Amino acid sequence: MTSDTNNKPMANPLIVLREEFDDWAILFDPDTGDASAINPVSVFIYKHLDGKHTVPDIVAKLRKECEDVPENAEAEVQEFIQQLLDKGYAGYEKQF
Amino acid sequence: MLRVNVLNQSIETSYPLRTLYFYLTEGCNLACRHCWIAPRFQDEKHQYGYLDYQLFEKIITEAKPLGLTGVKLTGGEPLMHPRIDEIVDHIREQELALTVETNGVLCTPELAHKMAACQSASVSVSLDGVDAKTHEWVRGVKGSFEAALQGIRHLVQAGLKPQIIMSIMRINVDQVEPMVRLAEELGCGSVKFNLIQPTERGERIYEADQGLTIEEYIDLGKFVENELSGRTQIKLYYDHPMAFRPLSRLFGAEGDGCSRCGILGVLGVLYDGSYALCGIGTSVPEMIFGRAGEDPLDTVWRENRVLNELREGLPQNLKGVCSDCLMKNICLGSCVAQNYYRTKNILAGFWFCEQAHQLNQFNYSRQKSSVKTDREDSNEVGETEIA
Repeated sequence: MTSDTNNKPMANPLIVLREEFDDWAILFDPDTGDASAINPVSVFIYKHLDGKHTVPDIVAKLRKECEDVPENAEAEVQEFIQQLLDKGYAGYEKQF
Repeated sequence: MLRVNVLNQSIETSYPLRTLYFYLTEGCNLACRHCWIAPRFQDEKHQYGYLDYQLFEKIITEAKPLGLTGVKLTGGEPLMHPRIDEIVDHIREQELALTVETNGVLCTPELAHKMAACQSASVSVSLDGVDAKTHEWVRGVKGSFEAALQGIRHLVQAGLKPQIIMSIMRINVDQVEPMVRLAEELGCGSVKFNLIQPTERGERIYEADQGLTIEEYIDLGKFVENELSGRTQIKLYYDHPMAFRPLSRLFGAEGDGCSRCGILGVLGVLYDGSYALCGIGTSVPEMIFGRAGEDPLDTVWRENRVLNELREGLPQNLKGVCSDCLMKNICLGSCVAQNYYRTKNILAGFWFCEQAHQLNQFNYSRQKSSVKTDREDSNEVGETEIA
């Protein structure tokens, strides 16, 4: 599956996001224990994977909430979401 | 950087022998109270064994086809070896990465330059206090503090950025920050703070109440990782298990990276030519796997039962608190030698994590099974359900 600017990705509800004291977080599959670490900006993005926001929506929110968001933020967010898709941490709602 | 930092790196199946740890000498010129190998004290009147130089060359020759890329020289005290110059030269000629763990006392300018000429040379010097009184209480030999400082200066003058290793115990716990300042002053590249492992003499440290409690070690770790590291330009490493390390320190821009523990690519060689898991072979005979010159290294590396048990069992068969830890795929039980020493089970949980767990001090967010409780009480633990 690939990400697309018009799609609205969703976090996999079976995956646990566990935030830590330094605002980093662990994402893990409670069944397998497969785990990954993500930084605070990634946590912000992950929390907006609710099936209601496109990548441009998320980037707009990021620009509103965070300072010094780089010019190429959309490409970076797209790439990050692709990594989440590849790992099964996120997906798209099936349209019937 | 936006990135999914995977904590489940794929397990290699070919198991190259990346690094040999050479415990070059039976004796040591210091008598450290906490040493986990406990070598004999060597002085003019008492001389002990050391690794035969020809055997050293033969082992390197046999190890290179197995994937050898680096060598660690440790002890005893590696710089006491009568042919240490030739050993270092050979490592350079073979283009192997060099790591040295020394007490620094015998580090001459010439030897420092030889070490600096090796590929990726990394030298750590043990310093357990910022004054002679503290350091020598730990190290047992008068004059060893000034000699260690001189050794460090020689390393710096040779162009190296040595690492200071400080083993934290009751007597020096107040010298953590002063040690960082001393390291800066000397021109060191980093300071590593070791916890006392309850192995050999380290056990006696705890019996004598000279070690720290688990809670004290955890608090000190937070101070070093979250505060002190921000107040210095040099790198600080606090050697507590991965489960206690902040993710930002592992993966952040100023982090030190995070890679899988190298135990599956390491083999120890003791002063008498024995192949062993590591220095633990000096006190646990069943951790000796063969003898150089008699047993082909290739056979030892590929067929030894303990090594294969580790390959098959790490990390999925780790026991105790390690079995439930989200960091186990990169931590691999922290120190399997210590785990075996303590329990006679090579896949046992790590003592520090086990004790922290019993005291309810284990890093809650790194435990897989805490999911259920977290969901019931998600506000307290910062767990988020995305829906």
